[in-house]
Amino acid sequence: MTRVPRGYIARRRRTKMRSFASNFRGAHLRLNRMIIQQVRRAFVSSHRDRGRQKRDFRRLWITRINAATRVYNVFDSYSKLIHNLYKKELILNRKMLAQVAVSNPNNLYTISNKIKTID
Amino acid sequence: MATAVAASASLSSSFAPRNHHRRLARPVTRRAAPVGLAVRCEQSDKQKRKPLAALVPREERFMFEGDELCGPDIWNTTWYPKAADHVTTAKTWYVVDATDKILGRLASTIAVHIRGKNEPTYTPSVDMGAFVVVVSSSQHTIVNAEKVAVSGKKRTQKLYRRHSGRPGGMKEETFDQLQKRIPERIIEHAVRGMLPKGRLGRRLFTHLKVYKGAEHPHEAQKPVPLPIRDKRIQKTD
Repeated sequence: MTRVPRGYIARRRRTKMRSFASNFRGAHLRLNRMIIQQVRRAFVSSHRDRGRQKRDFRRLWITRINAATRVYNVFDSYSKLIHNLYKKELILNRKMLAQVAVSNPNNLYTISNKIKTID
Repeated sequence: MATAVAASASLSSSFAPRNHHRRLARPVTRRAAPVGLAVRCEQSDKQKRKPLAALVPREERFMFEGDELCGPDIWNTTWYPKAADHVTTAKTWYVVDATDKILGRLASTIAVHIRGKNEPTYTPSVDMGAFVVVVSSSQHTIVNAEKVAVSGKKRTQKLYRRHSGRPGGMKEETFDQLQKRIPERIIEHAVRGMLPKGRLGRRLFTHLKVYKGAEHPHEAQKPVPLPIRDKRIQKTD
């Protein structure tokens, strides 16, 4: 039997993974077997968390809007604000409301006055 | 340049020991990533940092006020606090009197304020909350007694447990006994259970200051009375 080295196939596959692991810690960015495992886990987390990201941000916006409505006495709570927004068919999404609450709280009053006067 | 170096290196290598000049002989081309997978981070970062003016067509620019066009984009990225937004020396200090207040309801309000959930700048990963000082102005003759209240028979039946780690090392004591021994621990235990567990939670816990008696050493921070919205927090009877 002649000696048949396996060539560069496996090496190419592994160097492809290495680029994703370039900012990992310790052996996880140096050793091939660990790179394969950790990059796989990283991809799984990334995929799962892309769905979670949408949930998490909506949660954050809702918490911020809730706090803002209570601090600025706009409506007594987030639930009442959203209920009134929907009743008057004002399509402001939560992301915008949260940014308004943080950056320009006076505009919250504008929004609530608008809600109260539309009828 | 590279070929000249290689040529001179190969010439000298024939007269010198092989291993020494091996590295010079081959010009090494370094690639950050293999050809097929260009790393795209730089592109998307630039896109994120573009001001709104670059994205808004000229006809619609009137819709935006002066600052929004040239400054950072506040409408497409959720606000995240900068270091200047949570300077410890600029935080609010609250003071609460725990006398005759129901333990759990008080702890809940305290935890909310320490965590910063009552403010529109709330961020779960950043300490945006306030400091809370808990005192008890005792009007009873019992000296140094924290006068936090509990309903029902909890005073004699609520157990505080701890374990020393060794077999048979569980120790328990009732609310009453703990209140006589170390009254601060009751409120600390309650609030710690309501704060997030983790590195940030432990740091938030250090923002709670509990003292038995009516005095506290934080007069210099000018603490404000803690706003309590819970109507059933005061013990009636």
